[in-house]
Parts: sequence; structure tokens; C-alpha cells
Amino acid sequence: MTTSKTKKRGTKKSKPAKKSSAKRSPGAAFAVATNEKKSTAERAKAFVEAPLATIASDDTLQASLDVLRDRQQPIKVRLAALQSLQAATFSVIEFEPHREDYFATLRELVDDPDEELRQRVLGILARENDGYVQKRLLEGLQDPSKALVPPEKALQLLSYDVHAEAYPVAREILNAPPNPEAKREALRLLSADAKSAPVFEKLLRDKDEDRDIRQISAAALQSVKPKRFQEQARELLLDDNEYDDIQATALTALEQFGDEKAVGKDQQLLNRVDELGSSKSAKIKKSAKRFMSRYGK
Amino acid sequence: MVELTEQEFCEHVEHLPPAQLLPLLHESNPLYAQRGAATVVRMRGWVMLTLARTTLPDAALPFVLEDLDTGVDPYLVAAAARALRSYPTPNSAFAPFVVRAISNIRYRDERLSLETYGGFAIGTKGTTPVRELLATLTSLGSHARPIIPEVESLRTGPSALAKKYQPILEEVLKSIQTHSETNTDCCQLPDSVKDLFSWMRPARGSSSIDSTVLEDQNGNTLTFGEYFYGRPSIVAFFYTRCDNPLKCSLTITKLARIQKLLESEGLADQINTAAITYDPGFDLPERLLNYGHHRGIRFAPEHRLLRAPDGVDALRKHFQLGVNFIESLVNRHRIELYILDAKGQTAGYFGRIQWNEREVVDRVIEVLKKNRDRPKLRVASPVFGTAVALGLALFPKCPFCWAAYLSLFGIAGVETIPYSPWLQPVLAILLLSNLASIWFRARTTHRMLPFYLVTFGALTLIASKTLSAPSTVSLLGVLLTLVGSLLSTFKPNLDRVSTVRGSGWVNDQDSYPSATADGTDPVQAAIYSARSATIGSTRVARRAGRRHASNATTNSTIETPVKVRGSVGEMP
Amino acid sequence: MDVEIQINNSPNANARFLTWSPASCRIRITDPAGAQGQGQPPMRISAKTTASGGSVVFRKGTTGAFSASLQLGVPVNGNWVSFFAAGQFGRASVSLNDVTIEARHGNGNKVVGSTPCTVRIRKNANNLTPAERDRFIAAFAQLNNAGLGRFADFRDMHTNVSSPQAHGAPGFLPWHRAYLLDLERELQAIDPSVALHYWRFDQGSPNIFKRDFLGESDNIGTVFFSATNPLQFWKTDGVTGINRRPFFNSNNPTGVRTEAQTLALGTAYPAFRTMEGNPHGSAHTSFGGSISSIGTAARDPLFFLLHCNVDRLWAKWQRNNNRFNPAVAASFDSGAWPIGHNLADTMWPWNGITGPPRPPTAPGGTMAPSPVVTAPGLSPRVRDSLDFQGKVSAAACMGFDYDDVPFS
Repeated sequence: MTTSKTKKRGTKKSKPAKKSSAKRSPGAAFAVATNEKKSTAERAKAFVEAPLATIASDDTLQASLDVLRDRQQPIKVRLAALQSLQAATFSVIEFEPHREDYFATLRELVDDPDEELRQRVLGILARENDGYVQKRLLEGLQDPSKALVPPEKALQLLSYDVHAEAYPVAREILNAPPNPEAKREALRLLSADAKSAPVFEKLLRDKDEDRDIRQISAAALQSVKPKRFQEQARELLLDDNEYDDIQATALTALEQFGDEKAVGKDQQLLNRVDELGSSKSAKIKKSAKRFMSRYGK
Repeated sequence: MVELTEQEFCEHVEHLPPAQLLPLLHESNPLYAQRGAATVVRMRGWVMLTLARTTLPDAALPFVLEDLDTGVDPYLVAAAARALRSYPTPNSAFAPFVVRAISNIRYRDERLSLETYGGFAIGTKGTTPVRELLATLTSLGSHARPIIPEVESLRTGPSALAKKYQPILEEVLKSIQTHSETNTDCCQLPDSVKDLFSWMRPARGSSSIDSTVLEDQNGNTLTFGEYFYGRPSIVAFFYTRCDNPLKCSLTITKLARIQKLLESEGLADQINTAAITYDPGFDLPERLLNYGHHRGIRFAPEHRLLRAPDGVDALRKHFQLGVNFIESLVNRHRIELYILDAKGQTAGYFGRIQWNEREVVDRVIEVLKKNRDRPKLRVASPVFGTAVALGLALFPKCPFCWAAYLSLFGIAGVETIPYSPWLQPVLAILLLSNLASIWFRARTTHRMLPFYLVTFGALTLIASKTLSAPSTVSLLGVLLTLVGSLLSTFKPNLDRVSTVRGSGWVNDQDSYPSATADGTDPVQAAIYSARSATIGSTRVARRAGRRHASNATTNSTIETPVKVRGSVGEMP
Repeated sequence: MDVEIQINNSPNANARFLTWSPASCRIRITDPAGAQGQGQPPMRISAKTTASGGSVVFRKGTTGAFSASLQLGVPVNGNWVSFFAAGQFGRASVSLNDVTIEARHGNGNKVVGSTPCTVRIRKNANNLTPAERDRFIAAFAQLNNAGLGRFADFRDMHTNVSSPQAHGAPGFLPWHRAYLLDLERELQAIDPSVALHYWRFDQGSPNIFKRDFLGESDNIGTVFFSATNPLQFWKTDGVTGINRRPFFNSNNPTGVRTEAQTLALGTAYPAFRTMEGNPHGSAHTSFGGSISSIGTAARDPLFFLLHCNVDRLWAKWQRNNNRFNPAVAASFDSGAWPIGHNLADTMWPWNGITGPPRPPTAPGGTMAPSPVVTAPGLSPRVRDSLDFQGKVSAAACMGFDYDDVPFS
């Protein structure tokens, strides 16, 4: 918790929610949403208010899709329409008849000039493991002139599907990143790639690397080579010159996922962690305490 | 291997005759190597659609039925539906597959184009997998009669399809009701479709897989031979990152049901079950353990999930697996389950379509019975071998020694037996016979150390006789023979299963529900029945690993990867 | 004199948990020293609490008001005497066993028997103490176990393939109630002090979206955790990390129906369940990332806190309209619905049934049992989700409650 105040028990009153407009039916809300004479703010609010109204009939669906597709509509209204339709997809059985038209429209919007809309659409399709979107994203990583979104976002979207052929391009970006975020996302995407284990190890031990990179490397190595990670975590903890954050990560990992027998017998490690319990760093102290509560002392 | 772009592939495929298209339906075709899963879907779909433009050959049917049975990719399912319509002889056994596909894909229905490569439909034009499937049902006409109840439930009721499909469903029902004289004998697939199950005869002399090292879910290592020799086995292939729940997740769930069936019939310690991962780099032992546990697998020395850390290629070659990879990750695979005999040789194969647990168990029991009926190989006992060795070691060099030996026995009249020099070579021959039997035993148990010891013992003995070495050398030979003979009688050491680590989650299998299919699913019953009817007429076939020439009209019984004339690479 | 007190009529420590619903308890004399000649010496039962800890109230029978203490005659022959205890509304525990039920003989001050217990309640996650928060996320992380744990089953229960079992029809709320309960019990098997808390999505909840809790998102939606947060190792579908990009700059999503608006949707279930669209669907799609698509939503732990709030809203609506009894038409949506959405239907995956019309596999097995209550059973039906507080039948009590939904 970032606040220094202790939270009291019971139901503390949080910031009150904004007052809503007078109660209206979903149909009435939808009428406002599709009424071009209303203000952008009113229309956007109305759309988000009544997701199921967008699929109440074929007509309401088409009207919603028309708004979504129409580049002349205010972008906030289009985004609200998208949000509303996507909310309606959660009502799977009710949404079934409309899925065909909805996803066909989404594909059309992959090339929309508005970046935010494009990004949201790509996200929705990427989470469906859509082959078309994967192909377009990969093309964009290989040829920036065809990129639909920044490389870090493209990598993030490709990471939804391990079967997307993204590993080779992710490795290239990891070796020659256009920016730090892209490097980080490339590393995250590769986190299930056993072949990249040496890379994770190298980055984890590199004190000149960014903290986030080292943290992701720790999680990745733990996933593909848990025994090797445990050895590395141990060395990190025994290193007097290692950063607090990384040591805290190592402690957390060993406490949560460590081989209980091996760690419990490692007196050198236990002694070291005991020492770390007196550290000035609050993070280290906290992790060390948790660690020692598991391993006996 | 020259890599084709998708555009080049598309153009290449369009000019191929059906005979050359068929090999492109095999997952293991090198053209699919190093491609993402979505790319492979596009490529396969295009092959299927190209085939659909003419007449679908028999050999393509298993692939089409496979995509209807377990497909979750809208493009491939739609392509399969269209391809089935081009099969010249509608068959009532197809109908349950089509209905199954509707059930699988209806909540992933999306607009696509079957006229363009990749199927991406932009805008309003196009078709959908459900539309294609309904069109296929219409084309089946009265052959779809057995699934009228399912069509009715798609038309009205709580599980009805969207209103936009109602007119098509009306058409389906109308087409079923015409031509009422047509044969409506359900569940008999065309005789030509045999690739869903086959008995297999093992090829001679192929034992290179035996030494492949496997690691189980508890981290124990053993060779392929050590695990699979001695009992018949049921072996499935899978990987934990499979994103089609109708394939690997269901395969392992059903393997757990097979285990229950074996247990209920008292056969759990006579038949191995195993599942081997295609993805050993990621599927480390703990991952296998948890994956199996979460699906009801019971672990025991005879029942394991396995990985081959360095043996994927060997397994792929040995079983001719229907799989391909992008780096180490699977990009496409078929459902495949093998029955191995007690020598670890492939005896049967279930592929592509969902197999029925009862049927698999029945087949492996047949193999078990065959193994029991086979005359057992006689193995000489260690007593015999050692006695012969001792006799040879102590055989006297001359008649005087002979008399001395006999008088030692103090048996009246024995000393009168003349010196019998022929006994020495006879003993030597008997020693070599013992050696031969130890060798057979070693071959079957895949433990060669006893054989090596007995061999060295025999050589030592023979050398000591011929070279007149001191008696200690002979005794060494006897000792080696004794130790080797004794070792050969022991069974391979099977490690004990250990409990789940870490979370302390107990294998509470007794409380796990028997997750059998709801017995009221007539579609599944029809699909199983169609497979069973096919199995009844299947003949024994050569083991996969021999290459055949591809021939669209051949009644080939085994799917084998085939070198495509003009293709750009060798098959694995 | 010594007495034994059992909570939920069980000697086991893992049964010493209370909610707002009355729990069957009992007391007996184990050593009658000092009570000779008295047939049924009087016992005074009360709760010892800390300033911030839980508190318990009592009553003798199945009806009547609760009070801070209870007088009971307990026979010296060692026979049990029943009574009922419940958490005092508004006084949930903040740590394990922070309240003790004590018995005193007559008007004496000496405690002759005591049992610690916990008033375990689902709370607004934004208001948890640091210790509560840390225990909660530690249990969650262990359930995930870096992708190897039982959490994989919960993820697999909520996919595109299985979604028709639980969405778009009346079974939406009952199914998710059972789903959350199953997960909560698994968390409690790891740390019994933990309950599944909720994200109040119509209010600002700044404490939740911090690195020490459910993480802080950057501008592309990658979620970051502090070095001491075990969720940094969160893994689903073989991939490390969480993608979650809020579309709101203030502390709560805009456009999501408030609690008052949701509760006012209607007094009958068919009207109320439209909340599946808004606030439920709207809360999901207030983000980009895993949580905003049905097939990937369960990859984000926030999903469970979101749904816990959905369930809380249903619980509150039920209380406001007395809709606990499945036999009352307005409590549910009658008609012929797809399988899994009718009152008498069993619920997948806990029924173990696979194959159409159910999904192909049934991950996770049966409902996790509880040492505290027997409901809803290993393979619950839709109707078993309604009477969660045991108002219609005490045996139906499911062993959870919300901090702002009382029993009485």
C-alpha cells in the first residue's frame, strides 16, 4: 500500500460515484446513442449504458455497426459503440446471431485511421487468435511502413497466441530493440520459449539491465528452467552488490516456488536471508521475513 | 528446403492434380514446417478447397472428417464442409460429423471467403462455417435422416440456431424428406476409408527407438524399451500448450477414462498407458504431472506421462507422427493413439477421429491375448549355466586326472568309466547354448549387462582351457557366468510412483467423477459406430515407415508421409 | 470446571469460521469440578474481540434476535447443548482467529472454556489492510503456482468453448456464484484466513491498481508489480504476465451502472439479470487486455474480483426483494433455456459431464468441499446457488457473505 494510513476495518466510504442521469430504458438510451443531433458526450454515455440494446434486434445491431464503421462519426462515439458491442459479446448465447457481422466489421477497422480505435480492434481480434491480424502485425514488425501499431504493442498482441510465428521476430527485436518497451515486450513474448533460457539467464544476471527486464527474465527463467532459476536466485541473494529489487524478486520466487527440500537444507542461503531480514530496505525485509516464516525460523 | 511464400504456395496448389494434393493434407508435410499455426490453417484450407473443386478422393475423407469432428478453426471447418459436398457418394455416416461440427463452431461463427486464399472476408460478402455445414446437410438429402432430431433442435427450442439460418434448416428438412427410398443405414463409412484405425505389423529389425531416453512426470528416466517392453501399451501423443480442447486436453481426459476401464477389468497392471509430449522443451516433468492430474490421470509405474528430452525426432520417425513444428512448438497435429505389443512394437493405430475408450481397450486386450498365446521363449536357468561352466572349468586334462576325479566321488564302479575327452567340447557347446539363451533374454529385457558378463565368462573359460591358464582364471570364468546368469533372471527395476509435490494436493481420484460422455449424445454414438463399422473390415497392413507411392485411388490403409513429385523437400 | 465449545458442531480447527449467517454450535462440560450438585450449571457465552478484529453474536434457537452474550444451562453429564453463533454484522475479522468465543460459569469471570474463530467475510478489496491484501495475493499466486497450479483449471473453465454454459441466459449468475465459491475454497485450502474480495467497479478503487496489489498498467496495458509481489510470476496459457489497459483516467470506469441503478433494474429476476450487459459487460470492457474478451478474461486475477462484485450485487438484490427461494417464480427466469440455465440443471464442469451439448472436457473436477458447510454439494444444480445464506433452508448455506449484505 502506498498510503501510510492504516486502513480501518468495516466499509470505508470511497469516493462517491458520479451521479447518473435519470433512469431510462435501454431502448431510450440506444435512441440517444444513435441520434446524431445529440452531443458526443451524451451519445457516448448512452452507448456504454445499454450494451444489450445494441443486439436487441438485427436493426439495432446494424445501426451500431454503422456508427462504428463511419469515420465521420466522432471518435468518442465510435469507441463507445465498440465498447458497448464488446460488452454485449459476453452474453454469448444472445450474441451468437450477431457475431458474424460484428467480427466482419472489426476486420474492416484494422486499417482505420484512428490509432486508438485500431488498437482496440486489433486487441479484440488478437485475443480470438485471429490469423488475419497476426499476419498484419507480423508484417508490421518486419516492415515498419506497414505497421498498424507501435512494435511494443504489436508484440504484446502477438503474445496472446503462442502459436503465432512471432518468436523469430521477437528475438531480432530483443537483440536490436527500437525502444525499451519493445525490448521488454519481446522478452515477455519469449517467456515460454525454452530455447531462450540462456538469454533469460544472461539478462537476469546483468546488473546494467533495466529492473523490469531483469524481473521478466526471472519469471521467464523460472518457467522454462526452474532448477536453473533456483540456482541463479541463490547466487543473486548471496551477492552483496546486488540490487534490492532483484533480491526481493529472488526471495519472493524462492519463497513461493522454491524446492522446499533443497532450500531448507541450504544453510548458507538461510543464514544469508536471515541477515537480509535486518536490511534497511523495506522490500528486502518484507520478503526475507516471509521467506524465513516458510523455511522454519 | 526452399521456403515458399504463402502466395507462391497458393499458386502452386492451384495447378496440382488431386493425386499431388493429397500429400499436402498430411500435417508432417515439410511445406508446413516452421510456419505458425494460423498459416498452416490457411494453407490446409486452401488445399482442401482446391480438392473440393473437383471430386473429393476417398483418401481425403479422413482429413475432411477430422476437421468436422474436432476442428475449431472457422476457415478449415468451412472448407471441410464444402469439400465433403464434392464427395461423389453421399453417405449417411457423414451426417453426425456435420452436426458435430455445427456444435463445435456455432459460437465461433464468422464471415469468411472460400474463394480467396486465407478466407479473410472484408465487408458483407462471404459465407460462414455454419452456413457451409447446413449446405452440406442439405446436399446429403435423405442420407441425413438419422439426424433429424438434431436438425429439429437446431431449428426450434432452447438450442436453436439464429433466425437467419431458419430458412436453410427448412431446406435441410425438406431435402431429407424427399427421396425416402434411399438407404438410411447409418454409421457405415465408405469401405475405402480405413485410415481411422489400422492393425499394424511391425517391420523387422527396427529397434533404434528402444534406447531413446524418456523422462516421466516424476523426473524418473528410462529408455523406451525399458518402459514399453513386457506388456502391451496404449500410447497417445499430446502437448500441454495445445489450444484445441477437442484434441490434447480431451485425449488425456479420455486416457484417464481408459485407465479406469482397465482398472475395472483388473488389467491395470497388465497393460501400460502412456502419453508422450510433442513438446519436451516446455513440458517439463512438473508440467506433465499437473496436466495429467488436472485431467484425472492416475499415475503408477505402468501409467505415465512422458517426455523425450532429445528423442522427438526418433519418435517422430518411428511412429511417423502426424505433427509439424515451428521451432519446437507444434503448429498442427492429428489425434493419434497407438497400441504397442509386449515387445514395444506398434500393433495398432487410432487416428484423426475421436476414438472410443471401450474400443481402444477391446483392441489392446486382443493384443494382450495374442501375447499370452505366443509360446514363451525358454531361458536356461542360472543353475544350468553355472553347472556347465563349472564342469568345463574343472574338466580334467588327462585320463589319470579323470580317474582321480571319479575316485573322489567314491561311487562304486564309476572309476571304471573311461576318460571321455568328447565331454569337454560338449560342455563347451552347452556353455555356448546357455550364452545364446542369455542373449535372447537380454534382447527381450533390453538389459545387456548379463549377456556381457556371461560372454566374458565363457571366453575366459575357453581361453583358460586352450591356453592352459591357471585354475584361478577358470574360476573367474565360472564366477562371471554365475553372476551374469543370475542377473539375467531379474525383471527390469520399475521405480515407484511418488505423490504430488508442492501443493499437497492429493490424488483424490475416488472423488473424481467418472467423466464419461453424457450417454444421451446420439451424434457421438453415431460417430463411434461409424468408426467401429470401418474397423470390422480393416485388414492388417504394413507398419508405417515404409513409403508408398501416392495414388488417389489406392485403398491405402495407413497414412504415410509421401514424397510429392515436384515438391521441394524430403519427408521426415 | 472445563467446557468444550464447537463451532459448526465440529472439533476441527478448519471449521472455526463464521459469516453473518447463523452457524450451529454446541457446548458441553468436560470437567464438572466446582459444579457438583448443580444439574445444569448456567454458562455465559460471549465473544472476546480486539478493537479491529471480528465479533460474534449469539442466540439460542433458529429464530429470534442475536445478542452479545447468551446464557445456557449445560448439564454436568457432558451432554451437548446447542446454540447459534454468527458474525456481528459490520465486524468482520481482519486476521485468523482474532475473535474468541468464551464460556464462563454463572456470573464468574473465569473463563472455563474458549474457542478461537474467524468471521471470514468477502470485503471491498480497496479497503483491505496491508496484511489482508498480502495474504490474499499470496494465496492467489500460490494457486497459480507460476502456471502449474490448480488455477489452470479455473482458467480452463472460462473459455470461448465453455462460455455458453454460463453466459447470455439465466444461469449466468448462479454459475458464476458457484465458480467463485470453488475458487475461494481453493484459496482457503492454501490460507484459511483468506476470502475472495470484490472490486467495487462503480467507485474509485485506487488501492487495487497498485504494484503491491493487482498491479499498475503502463500506457500499452502491460501490468507491473512490485518486487515483493508474488503476482509478478503470474502465468496463464504458458505466458508470463497480465495485459490490462484501463480506459478510464479517474479511479473508476465511466458508464458502468452504479449499485443503486443496478438494484433498481427490477424486482423480478428476468429484469435484474440484464445486469449481465451493464454493469457486468461494461466493467469488463472498461479495459483493453485479457479481461475485455470472454475467452481470455479469466487470465487476469481482476476478473474474479469483478465477478465477486457482480455476485455481491445479486446477493444484495436478493435480500432487497427476498429472492432466495427457487420455488418463487420471481427468483429466477422460467422457461426452456439451453442446458445449464434451468433451475434443475446440473452445472458444468462440476457435474463431470462432457460432450455436446456440454464442452468436451470438464476441468477441475467436482466443487471443492468445505469443512464448514455441506452446500452446495459436489455437483450443484443451478437452483442450489440461490439460497446462499441458508434463509430458506439452513443446510443450503454456502459459507460466504459480503461485508455490506447482512443476514437479517
